[in-house]
Amino acid sequence: MSLKEHRPSAVTSALAKDRLGVPSVIFFVISAAAPLTVVAGSVSTAYAATGVTGVPLGFLLLGAILGIFAVGYVTMARHVVNAGAFYAYTAKGLGRPVGVATAWVALLAYNALQVGLYGAIGASTQPLIADAFGVELPWWVIALFFWALTGALGLMRVDLNGKILAILLLTEIAVVLLFDVVDLVNPAPGTGYSLDVFDPANLFVPGIGAVIATCVASFSGFESSVVFAEESKDPRRTVPMATYIALAVISILYAFSAWAMTVPIGTDKIVQEARDQGPNLYFATPGEQLGSTVSTIGSVLLVTSIMAALIAFHNTISRYFFALGRERVLPEIFGQTSAPTGAPLTGSITQTIVGFIVIILYALFDLDPFIQMFFVFGSFGGLGVLLLLCATSVSVIAYFAKNPAPETAWRTKIAPAIASILLLIVITLVMVNFDTVLGVPPDSWLRWALPVFYVVAIVFGVLYGLSLRKKRPEVYAAIGMGAHASVRSGQ
Amino acid sequence: MSKDHLSGFRLADDLFFVLHNDRTGRMRLNQRVTGLGLAGAVLGELMLAGRITAGMAVGEVRLAVVDMTPTGDNPTQEALNHIIAEPSHSFRTWLQFLGQTAQANVAARMIESGHIHRPRRSWLSKTPAYIPVDTNTAVWPTGRLNLAMQRRNALTEQDAVLLGLLMACGGERAFLWERDPEYLAQTTASLPAHLRELIAQTEAAVGDAVISRR
Repeated sequence: MSLKEHRPSAVTSALAKDRLGVPSVIFFVISAAAPLTVVAGSVSTAYAATGVTGVPLGFLLLGAILGIFAVGYVTMARHVVNAGAFYAYTAKGLGRPVGVATAWVALLAYNALQVGLYGAIGASTQPLIADAFGVELPWWVIALFFWALTGALGLMRVDLNGKILAILLLTEIAVVLLFDVVDLVNPAPGTGYSLDVFDPANLFVPGIGAVIATCVASFSGFESSVVFAEESKDPRRTVPMATYIALAVISILYAFSAWAMTVPIGTDKIVQEARDQGPNLYFATPGEQLGSTVSTIGSVLLVTSIMAALIAFHNTISRYFFALGRERVLPEIFGQTSAPTGAPLTGSITQTIVGFIVIILYALFDLDPFIQMFFVFGSFGGLGVLLLLCATSVSVIAYFAKNPAPETAWRTKIAPAIASILLLIVITLVMVNFDTVLGVPPDSWLRWALPVFYVVAIVFGVLYGLSLRKKRPEVYAAIGMGAHASVRSGQ
Repeated sequence: MSKDHLSGFRLADDLFFVLHNDRTGRMRLNQRVTGLGLAGAVLGELMLAGRITAGMAVGEVRLAVVDMTPTGDNPTQEALNHIIAEPSHSFRTWLQFLGQTAQANVAARMIESGHIHRPRRSWLSKTPAYIPVDTNTAVWPTGRLNLAMQRRNALTEQDAVLLGLLMACGGERAFLWERDPEYLAQTTASLPAHLRELIAQTEAAVGDAVISRR
């Protein structure tokens, strides 16, 4: 016995072997954000759909806002450990009914982000297949193939493991940087290295809200860092470090690449070119300079990048469903897992069905997979993520007001307050510009129809939470506990 | 030594049989869940034998040693030694820690007691196949639970824990012929608090494993 006391804990060291360090968490976080998908897909689509050239500045601004948001967010992660971070935080800070509303908004937003990617992967695989086999497949046939693959991998509980993710991610970033360099050594004759795209006058124009929604969607995934709190070597240090580094890397990489893309084309022509070429825009100049093989490699990596993002979002969503099913906030059936693989069975299937319906609807109505699917769903999801971020910021303040902790005022009050205000402004901008997001006239009813989904989710979420308090207090008590719901309610 | 122990059916052995295919000896659930379930069963044996209990301490649920008498077998004794040496870990931490070794440790005990064959290492598969010596013995725990449920008979305390742990692993749809939610709920509710806590904690740990990205 006395001998044991001098030795390091056997339990702690056995568990520590399995823990994640800062680099692993960064890889998980950035790979969910899928850099090549954003740079090749989102950026060119943002130029095309919004007509705003200030996209690079948008990434920097949003990166800064999210950095301020992250201060309170990672502080909260030290005190509230939960796998479904957003709704657990709002449940703890603003009350359980708000937690339910947050969970529903999160499900809507993440499903939108995931489903939008099916349009992107269909449209970007189409030219590759045409080049290789000379067959012009409709985008939705390809989308359905990747849809089936995602669904199957989800049920098999295939998570891309750390090593595959790291290799994919590093290759993606290498390609992005290589293409950036090629862009930079081929400046357009007229405009050259114009920094117009960083001029606020080119961002703060009608359409800014649509740019911001795209940027938010591009960042989504960074919030997953706190999920690793329990699995990290040193939760106090690992998670904040990984979050800040990931945010810095993402925003600088995106802003730099979005600018580099304009250099060979010219800031005055970028919008028109993006509209003409779509996602091929990013591969055009490198293709001319380095040969078609290089641009083909880039296009293939774009497809794997979108696929990685599809898997990441699919798994995030099915786990969300699972956690809510365990709490009985969603029907109990969502808490079921697949016996042989331990995958969140019902959640995974539900997400797969949602994807199928949307792909089929888009195919039936012959809508554009990039602008009308990827961009619209991405922006709609981006708006949802903004709502989640804003609610989370406010709940950080509320939580620490109720549960004083030895943390600085900057972390528990000032930064979350600044973030809340900035995010509110950003949400207003997105709402004001939602006509640009959808590409409809400003007086169209459609611009209000989509955001109303979130309003409905919030109102019914709160009402449902309140009814649980009355009718099923044991379920109500477990809201926000996720997989740990069994522990409290079992007593 | 507990009565159940002498009768020959040990909780972890029973759960081990349920969680492995009776002919191929392969796991029926995934590795992490199997480990967590068997860790729960090892702690369950200690609880049933009156060695440990669960209770709140410093704001979390922890295990407390009640009786330090040697248990007489390796998996439970090893777990008991760890709990005696480091009492300040939470229940969850114990499940995670013991979950890493529970399957191998319980298998070793069952090989020693002649319940399963020593697995032959195959380079085709990473996971060993634990083939039962006697298939009838191997299917008995599953059969016993199902028959009792069909007849709505009350289960022994040990079998109620077995059923609870099985449900905590999410295996009830795979192993039970029918599911009567009321019967299942009553069976768990009839257990003393520390055993209910064991089942709830195992369910939470399995939930964590499902949600975890690795």
